Amino acid sequence: MLDKYLKSRIPDAKKLVKDLRRQYDYVSVLGTVVNTKKINISTHINSMDEVDNECGFVIKVYKDGRYSEYSCNDIRGLKAAEVTKAIRLDKPFTKEFNVRMLEEQEHTEDFIREDKAKLSDKKIIEELTKVKDDMHKNDERVINVHTVYVKRQTSKIFVSEKKCLSQKYDWINVVLAVVVRDKDKIKTNYKSQGEADSLEALNKFKAESKEVLDIAIKMLDAKPIKPGKYTIITDPSISGLIAHEAFGHGVEMDMFVKNRAKAINYVGKRVASDLVNMYDGAVSCLSAASYFFDDDGIEAGNTQIIKNGILQTGISDYLSAMELGTVPTGNGRRQDYQRKVYTRMTNTWFGAGKDKYEDMIRSVKHGYLLCQTNNGMEDPKNWQIQCTATYGLEIKNGEFTGKMVSPVVISGYVIDLLNSISMVSDIVKIEGSGMCGKGHKEWVYVSDGGPYLKAEAKLG
Amino acid sequence: MKKNEILACLKANKKISGYEVSIVNKDSRELFYVLDHLEINRAVKIENTAITVYVSDKKTTGSSTITLTAADDKDSLNKKLNSAISKAKTAKNEYYPLAPKTENIKEKIEIKKDLNEIASNVAKAVFKADTYKNGWINSTEIFVSRFNEEFINSNGIDHVSEHFKVEVECIPTWSNKKEEFELYKFHESNKADYNQITKEIDEILKMAKDRSQAVTLKDVKLPKDLKVLVKGEMVEDIVYNLAENLSYKNTYIKQNHYQINDKVSDNPFDLTMKAVVSGCSASRRYDSNGVLLKPVKLIKGGVAKNTYGDIRFGYYLKEKKISGNLPVCELKADGVDIGKEKHLLVEAFSSPQMEEDSGYWGGEIRLAKYFDGKKYIPLTGLSISGNIYEDIKKVEFSKETTASKYYKGPKYMIFKGIEIS
Repeated sequence: MLDKYLKSRIPDAKKLVKDLRRQYDYVSVLGTVVNTKKINISTHINSMDEVDNECGFVIKVYKDGRYSEYSCNDIRGLKAAEVTKAIRLDKPFTKEFNVRMLEEQEHTEDFIREDKAKLSDKKIIEELTKVKDDMHKNDERVINVHTVYVKRQTSKIFVSEKKCLSQKYDWINVVLAVVVRDKDKIKTNYKSQGEADSLEALNKFKAESKEVLDIAIKMLDAKPIKPGKYTIITDPSISGLIAHEAFGHGVEMDMFVKNRAKAINYVGKRVASDLVNMYDGAVSCLSAASYFFDDDGIEAGNTQIIKNGILQTGISDYLSAMELGTVPTGNGRRQDYQRKVYTRMTNTWFGAGKDKYEDMIRSVKHGYLLCQTNNGMEDPKNWQIQCTATYGLEIKNGEFTGKMVSPVVISGYVIDLLNSISMVSDIVKIEGSGMCGKGHKEWVYVSDGGPYLKAEAKLG
Repeated sequence: MKKNEILACLKANKKISGYEVSIVNKDSRELFYVLDHLEINRAVKIENTAITVYVSDKKTTGSSTITLTAADDKDSLNKKLNSAISKAKTAKNEYYPLAPKTENIKEKIEIKKDLNEIASNVAKAVFKADTYKNGWINSTEIFVSRFNEEFINSNGIDHVSEHFKVEVECIPTWSNKKEEFELYKFHESNKADYNQITKEIDEILKMAKDRSQAVTLKDVKLPKDLKVLVKGEMVEDIVYNLAENLSYKNTYIKQNHYQINDKVSDNPFDLTMKAVVSGCSASRRYDSNGVLLKPVKLIKGGVAKNTYGDIRFGYYLKEKKISGNLPVCELKADGVDIGKEKHLLVEAFSSPQMEEDSGYWGGEIRLAKYFDGKKYIPLTGLSISGNIYEDIKKVEFSKETTASKYYKGPKYMIFKGIEIS
């Protein structure tokens, strides 16, 4: 159910919109309340906090071809004159700029998606503690285990002259990280589960805990990879990392406005092998970035970005869409109410193919199965890749050799990598547990994933 | 809620054995440019209040942090406090104390100009560098912020400090007529130094020009055992990683590569953690628990000599003088002159990587410059990687120094035997 406080502020938002409309051509109010429960049960640190909570408002106005915003804690009693004073600019340094104003359609609707599992704190702590204790019992090389349960309950209202929207949605992440030590060697492995239901998230967390430890132990003997060009099979998390970092950032259309993305010249052209289909959208699947309307009050979308290897379109917030003369896709997102909207990815993934995973492994003469996202960085202007897998498993003549390399950095040119994709598995997995920055800031919750992909890549 | 009302609720609740209250007021003005067109301006005026309640007995301490919102009143705060007490009793830890009362810090800053005016002057300083025919500033974000922070704990600490911050994110672009190339610049400072901003933007524009002319490793054969110079965020990450290995926390949880008296490097450098260093915007006189910060020399002559950190893990380690969680590293070393020796100078990574546990460091390079003994050749599309715990043993430092957010010391770290691919 929508946060009561936020609901109580809807009449205030309507009044503020009405008052400010006397001076501005467009006015909207976005209200956000995020309640977060974080339970951390670890070898040396236990805590239960309500951190990363959020409660505040953004008032957006438009006049003379430019938008202005004011972020504040509360709107009750807030006078239109206070907003005007805060956003005033005396002789701003700028050339003329004339952005179109958004033309909204009448829309009033309330949306809700809540965690069905009503688990007590005690039950959650028991589950986390058992996994942590089992890890220590199973291997004496385990020096630290971190288990974290995070439930975010997000409520938002969006009020303008023509719109009055509200949404409430929950998302749960459960994270397991294990640190193992053998003399001077220290390695960390982790797994993060994201679900809309606490029970499902905890069940997956328990089911995968043994594998997390086994891999951490194996990482103690992992060697650096010999740099070179290899055949790779990417697991769904690395496929997602490539979809998100290597290509997705380049189709965020605020980058088109700034002429910062090479992709603008490739719409309608081949960017990948014809086996490749790619999607993004808050309603493209149920995952970490699944909401009902974005921070511009635009309904959430599902955009097919690549169809059979051909770039179809990008994704956009509404300011970028106004500047480009396109239709906003529901991808306008803020880190929090204190921050500006940017075009942001939501749930980003490659579509399934027809190949069997086993056939893909058998087809590799010499290469690596690359597993588990470590990190990545975008380069939308020049399409250079930096994607890091936590580890890689060597494959020779279609079989795993038992050798592990860690970490593995994929580099090269994005389009070369996507065009080299020669097999796509028939199963897709999407992991809803990541956060994404734009450049080096503006963090939002995202998910990504896809099938196993076979490609050729430069590894180091 | 007003501070006194919050404190009254905390003092009245007898189940609470200690508390910390942090109140942060932020006032900022933000300008967002596409080329030199102002696309959107923003104002932020907010207050964030966080309360941590502690429930301790002789053997255990439990804590829980809550945040207050504009929606809260006395009744809702009391409900939140009771819920936090219950959580603190459930998630218990080994006993540790709160910071004891010491001198209370009262730091005020005077900002003579309006934040809007400062932001506008920063914009002028940025675009003053925009003077090239084939290069330009593609987009710019300017944040000028003033913070007022108050920290109170139940032992009588009541620190008040004010901070000022200028942040500029800038994307320079250069065209070689066939293709356009960009780089990334983030400037952060606790003063509005307009000349410095213009200088830095001019430098990054020239680096974008270098990237537009860069060749790849296919075009240049690099000699073996080439010296590699890294700077900026990579140096900050490496130095901070060395320091983290000597933190109370990592020492206590045994997630550390160094112990006291371990030889870190053959190079006899000194590394000191400090509270306040001129030019470092992360400087603070007290940490997030209110502990007054005292400098600690972590590494002396290349050998680990001390540890540092917060009150909790300092108490667990039975440290007599707890340093507090110091925010700034200062490194002192004899610098070398790279002179006419062949070397690779890394100007910009995509995103430098430094893995604390494994020691893996490096990353994909957007721009490097290879000095072949006569001239610099710009390079792109290459990567470097190594293990910092091995590579630091033979590290050298430049004579040229720098100061950034967390770090003051030699501008370049110089490594040999790094994998370049």
